Amino acid sequence: MRGFLRRLAGHLTRGLVMIWVVVTFTFFLIRLMPGDPVQVQYEKLIAQGMSPDQAASATAVTYGFVPHGPVWKQYLEYLSGLIRLDLGVSVDSQGVAVADRVFGAMPWTVLLVLSGILVSFLVGVVLGVVAALKRSTAVGHSLSIAGSLLHGVPPFVIAIVLAAVFTRRYRWFPSGGQYNGDEVAPGFYYDFIGDVAYHAFLPAAAFAIASYGGWLLAMRSSVASVLGDDFLLAAELRGLTRMTRFRYLARNAILPLFTVLAISFGLVFGGSIFIERIFNYPGLGMLLFASIGARDFSMMSGAFLMITAAVIVANILADLLYTFIDPRVRRQA
Amino acid sequence: MSIVELSTETLPGVAISGLTIAYRTDAGELAAVSDITLGLPAGTITGLVGESGSGKSTLALSLLGAVQKPGRVTAGSVVIDGIGDITKLDEHALQSVRGAQIGYVFQAAQNSLNPLKTVGKQLLDLGRSHRVKDLRGLLREAKVLLSRMGLAAERVLDSYQHELSGGMRQRVGIMFALVLNAHLLVLDEPTTALDMITQANILQIVRDVHAERGLTTLIVTHDVGVVAEVADRMAVMYGGRVVEHGQTMEILGAPRHPYTRGLISAIPRLTGPVDAAKPLPGTPPTLGTIPRTGCVFRQRCPLRMEICDTVAPAMIGGVACHAVNETEQL
Repeated sequence: MRGFLRRLAGHLTRGLVMIWVVVTFTFFLIRLMPGDPVQVQYEKLIAQGMSPDQAASATAVTYGFVPHGPVWKQYLEYLSGLIRLDLGVSVDSQGVAVADRVFGAMPWTVLLVLSGILVSFLVGVVLGVVAALKRSTAVGHSLSIAGSLLHGVPPFVIAIVLAAVFTRRYRWFPSGGQYNGDEVAPGFYYDFIGDVAYHAFLPAAAFAIASYGGWLLAMRSSVASVLGDDFLLAAELRGLTRMTRFRYLARNAILPLFTVLAISFGLVFGGSIFIERIFNYPGLGMLLFASIGARDFSMMSGAFLMITAAVIVANILADLLYTFIDPRVRRQA
Repeated sequence: MSIVELSTETLPGVAISGLTIAYRTDAGELAAVSDITLGLPAGTITGLVGESGSGKSTLALSLLGAVQKPGRVTAGSVVIDGIGDITKLDEHALQSVRGAQIGYVFQAAQNSLNPLKTVGKQLLDLGRSHRVKDLRGLLREAKVLLSRMGLAAERVLDSYQHELSGGMRQRVGIMFALVLNAHLLVLDEPTTALDMITQANILQIVRDVHAERGLTTLIVTHDVGVVAEVADRMAVMYGGRVVEHGQTMEILGAPRHPYTRGLISAIPRLTGPVDAAKPLPGTPPTLGTIPRTGCVFRQRCPLRMEICDTVAPAMIGGVACHAVNETEQL
């Protein structure tokens, strides 16, 4: 347990350092953008008749730092704002705090990404085991082909096809939104959860269909390599039942996939920009997409920051999970 | 040929007769083990020696009916006392016999344990697979065995494979093979990849448990020294055939088959010049290059005769060699 806590502390420290690096990078990136949006807004406000002081404080509210003066001072102000979770105010819709929008959109994206990944992981892993055990039969071959075929199609293409077929051609699924606000009010009850699932189904399915092939192929090769391990032959020679040997096989084969799972979480999170846009699903990706279109820089950096943080947290969780399932990692800690 | 010969030995723990095991390859079915007839008398330790690729491990696996695909037994039988012909058993019967009546110990370098479970948990899996009612009793028995082999039983049962040294793993392997009271013990290269002191320890343990539990033991090795140390009887394999077998001391003292002689003279001595050890010329055959007719050893044989090219020598008086039989009959 003490080892675990030390591990957790190490992860959190590293995670914070990573977030800090990304924050610093975003800060300077925005300053380096052509036309310096901070300066542009400052000058625009002056042109609209504000006094330089007013313009400066208005811009400071937007970005969380004063637009002129030494860069290090702006940077420190920005950081101290972040610590208080103050991400500034939206440029596009004045008066709306970036933090509110970002935190509001976050859970919906997490819902899509998590359900998409989990479904594709489960389906892919199960089919992968079948494909490996039956790899010299027609079933195995067709599973592998199905896996590699869809593995090569980008998720947004699948999303477009799904959206076109199931929201336009057949209007089986809603064409946007997180839930139908006219019919259900948010709350923890059957109808609302059902409606949320109904709205999330297609986007999550797009994630799942696009990535299950990767899991299938990874699991297939992992199972095939564990099948050649001596300990399975040893288990057979000790007369362990088929079921027990299968459990040994499955647990050992699934292990390397957990590392990939953490990485894929980041990729899928990034991919959510397209998926949410295609399905009109108001999550973090949609927010980012809209803010890019509106040159809403403060919103953009807020969304970037949130996506970064989500990926880092996912990695930490995956790593901690790993320590529970792999004793070789656990005891070294 | 050897039904008569078998009956002259004491009641066999295992009677292998006419056993042929072939592997399906692109070049057709190739025999890794050809027409082997060999008895493992109850209560003895038999050493099976041969180079890599001689078919000795395939033979060892056949004692558990576990020849791995694409291999299969194409002829012959392996009759084990109290079990019957193991080549005829179905999968379910094999599962209940393996581990319970026949114990198998892997090479130390091979990981014979599930890396994700502690030894104790795997022991419980073993018990459940064999429908052992008294799992506590099984744990107790395992602890007795482990302590008997000089290990801290509690700690070992609570350890994962990666926390054990090679010698410890090997002892754990022996514990797994014997904890259900198997009476036939098969050890495949039990000392390979261990340091000299651990090797000596393991061999001592093998000898002791063999005697204490009244086992019939087969020890497969490429190391003649191991056989000399523990085995009452030995069999020498080459190219899928047993070329010589008999009492260990007799064979080591006066090897008759030219291959056995070559093997023994290839061992460096502790005293005297190093080059007194003569390596065997040539290389052992692989599955694809084993001669299909005639004597399998003839290409490396100093005593090669014309008949060796066409006729496989019969096992006569414990040795299968035309030249030896000819000179001994004179």
